[in-house]
Amino acid sequence: MSKILLVACWLTSLLFDLSLAQWLGISGVEASLEVTEFGGPRVVIKYDLDEEDLSPESPAYVFVRCSKDSGQHWSLIPSKYLGGNGRGIVESAGGRQIFWWGTVETSFASLERIVFQVRGIRMVRIPGGEFTMKSTPGGGYDGERIGQTVSSLPLFYLAKYETTVAMYADYLNEVGGDGTGWNSRMSDTLRCGIFQENSPPDCRYMVVPGRGKYPVTYVSWYDAAAFLDWCGLSLPTEAQWEKAFRGGKFLDSDSLKQQPNPLPERNYPWGDEEPGEGGIFRCNGRGEKDGYANTAPVGSFPQYSSPYRAGDMAGNIAEWTVDWYTTTYHAGLDGFRMVRGGSWRSFPSGLDAISGATSLPLGESGIMGFRGVLEF
Amino acid sequence: MKGIGRRDFLKSAIGAAAALKAVSPRRSVSASDKVILGIMGVGGRGTQLAGWFAQMPDVEVAYLCDVNERRFGRAVERVETAQGREPKPVKDFRRILDDKQVDALVNATPDHWHALGSIMACQAGKDVYVEKPLSHDIWEGKKMIEAARKYKRVVQVGTQTHSSLYVQKGIDYINSGSLGEVHLARVHNMMEKPSRKKGPEEPVPAGFDWDMWCGPAPLLPYSPGQWWMDLWDFSTGTIANECIHQIDLARMLLSLGCPTSVYQAGGVHFFHDGREIPDTSIATFEYGDLTLMLEAAIWTPYIKKIPYSIRDSDRFPNWPFTGTRVEIFGSEGMMNLGRQGGGWQAYDKNGELVHSEPGRQGDPRHLRNFIDCIRSRNKPAADVEEGHKSTMFCHLANISYRVGRRKLRFSPESHMFIDDEEANRYLKREYRHPWVVPDKV
Repeated sequence: MSKILLVACWLTSLLFDLSLAQWLGISGVEASLEVTEFGGPRVVIKYDLDEEDLSPESPAYVFVRCSKDSGQHWSLIPSKYLGGNGRGIVESAGGRQIFWWGTVETSFASLERIVFQVRGIRMVRIPGGEFTMKSTPGGGYDGERIGQTVSSLPLFYLAKYETTVAMYADYLNEVGGDGTGWNSRMSDTLRCGIFQENSPPDCRYMVVPGRGKYPVTYVSWYDAAAFLDWCGLSLPTEAQWEKAFRGGKFLDSDSLKQQPNPLPERNYPWGDEEPGEGGIFRCNGRGEKDGYANTAPVGSFPQYSSPYRAGDMAGNIAEWTVDWYTTTYHAGLDGFRMVRGGSWRSFPSGLDAISGATSLPLGESGIMGFRGVLEF
Repeated sequence: MKGIGRRDFLKSAIGAAAALKAVSPRRSVSASDKVILGIMGVGGRGTQLAGWFAQMPDVEVAYLCDVNERRFGRAVERVETAQGREPKPVKDFRRILDDKQVDALVNATPDHWHALGSIMACQAGKDVYVEKPLSHDIWEGKKMIEAARKYKRVVQVGTQTHSSLYVQKGIDYINSGSLGEVHLARVHNMMEKPSRKKGPEEPVPAGFDWDMWCGPAPLLPYSPGQWWMDLWDFSTGTIANECIHQIDLARMLLSLGCPTSVYQAGGVHFFHDGREIPDTSIATFEYGDLTLMLEAAIWTPYIKKIPYSIRDSDRFPNWPFTGTRVEIFGSEGMMNLGRQGGGWQAYDKNGELVHSEPGRQGDPRHLRNFIDCIRSRNKPAADVEEGHKSTMFCHLANISYRVGRRKLRFSPESHMFIDDEEANRYLKREYRHPWVVPDKV
């Protein structure tokens, strides 16, 4: 079979906000079919990862979405079906390749109607090992300790920043033609900033200029889970969230044990200093003295990140977790989910490592958002 | 038939909060014409009430109070979203009482703070919406009535099904004689609740005034969780907290006052978590030729509260597996009535269904009634005295259990047990200084 010529690839529509706030810089995406000696033709996707300071501790998570009908319908290609050095966790910048032999199909005759979207999210690496979980699972109401306090977790990766308005709007422009995933409160220009245009089934979403780098809010647990599923990620457990917040006993993993955590039971990501101690504001909490009356752009307090350099773990927006609040008395509805980290409305004590709040999964508010986790 | 998505189904099922807007007056209201509220206790219920009141265009929630400042973030967001203005968070409810602009206090604290908080509010000239059960014991319930009357305050108790229209229709149906002579009523309260074992003592978290949270109750070592809900010093118990609604309904339906005797069987049968208050209660109350029974357990997963999908619909629950129902038995027929918008259905002597009355949850009307009574100075639907009468059932049953599951005789006139000194010791608790309900309110 002859080699199929290069066909057009498709970058995610960037027309509304060119900042790509918090999608990583990916350019020059090209897809082609290559003949292999024994395995039939494979798709080769090449791209340039234009992102500084990538490292094993702060890598990119790259995922690919594919359309087989010229962009009308899309689906995620699970990383486990891909090969090459440009999919899943990518630890350095530069030219990258992804190989795909198809999933349902055993091969493609051509890429004429096939288009790919390649996106990346900045992650932080949380090595495996023990940590001190101070909070009581389920917000302290779990008398039977059904949710056991976790003392050790395997390796996982957490998004470095909260999911942004721009990222979520990009997602809506693929899946939200019928209005799914958006509600009118998202158009609040001070606390979110996504407008909807047109009517179902042709809804389109525009980001208010300047709002792309702010955390998306007014998302329910279901909205958050759907977005992360779209990316190939998931919501963190409380244990994962808290380990990322405070750090393990050894920051470089239990198998290496070269970097003991100086404060394994710290109250805040940066240590034990109060958020506003000494007139220095270390996160976005209640009040405007920290510089923000509402939400702040993600990563606004870079020097006060967690031990793994995850930003905004305390304050800004409270983050959905996958865990349940352990009570069973809400018959007919799913139970409450745990929300961690406090928000721009929280008092200092509400920003610490043990604080948690609960919300019904349909809850949408200006103080709640999310970030994703990649597990193995 | 096209199915609806799960999220649309769930959103339509949660009708009470949305329905609140339908009964709010549709007019613009000047700031000076608003009823100003302070909310004392912004846990789950308090936050819910704060949000509902804040949605009313003629109400402003000016204060949120909690001794645990961690609770403020969510509650402030809920109120500000509803009314467009941020309430002021405070840790001491006396700040609310000192503000002359505040018209009323909404008391959504745990049981042990209901009486003192509400009495102090009356003394400060505030009307009160106090969550059920009204009081922690019989004596302080009487004091709450005295305070309301002395200071001429509107005091509404949070037995919201009291305001549901379907209940009045049930009353009318029974009074019409359609059930014949009624001599037996059964109040159910079966459901599944979690175990709540008190863990080891931990440092009190920053931002939490544990001393004030304990308030009138003993100052116990701090441990996270709701274990206190099953201790006599803090609570009337999980069963009482839930069944008060059904008892209130039974009283309404049958125009019952205070019983003349009580006997409670049961005990802590299932949970081994150190709780004091029974997880199984079978209580019998006598009214001459009518007997009222309470059948309650909180370890029965197959029996549930009425699902949200039914509460504000024209459908009815599966009665045998409905944990919050009232059964009225007459010589000609019987009635099943559900709390929380469950409606009621009546059956004739052949067991045939002869009448169905769908229900709607009472919260919107109940809250609206409170605000309207603040303006009109009329007695509210669930006035403090009515709330006291219903709460009495819980206290009487608890006392019967605590004196060894004895049948007790009670005098509604004197509010004391007859010839039973031991039982009378449980009429009033010891208070921890300075949080003392005074003899003279």
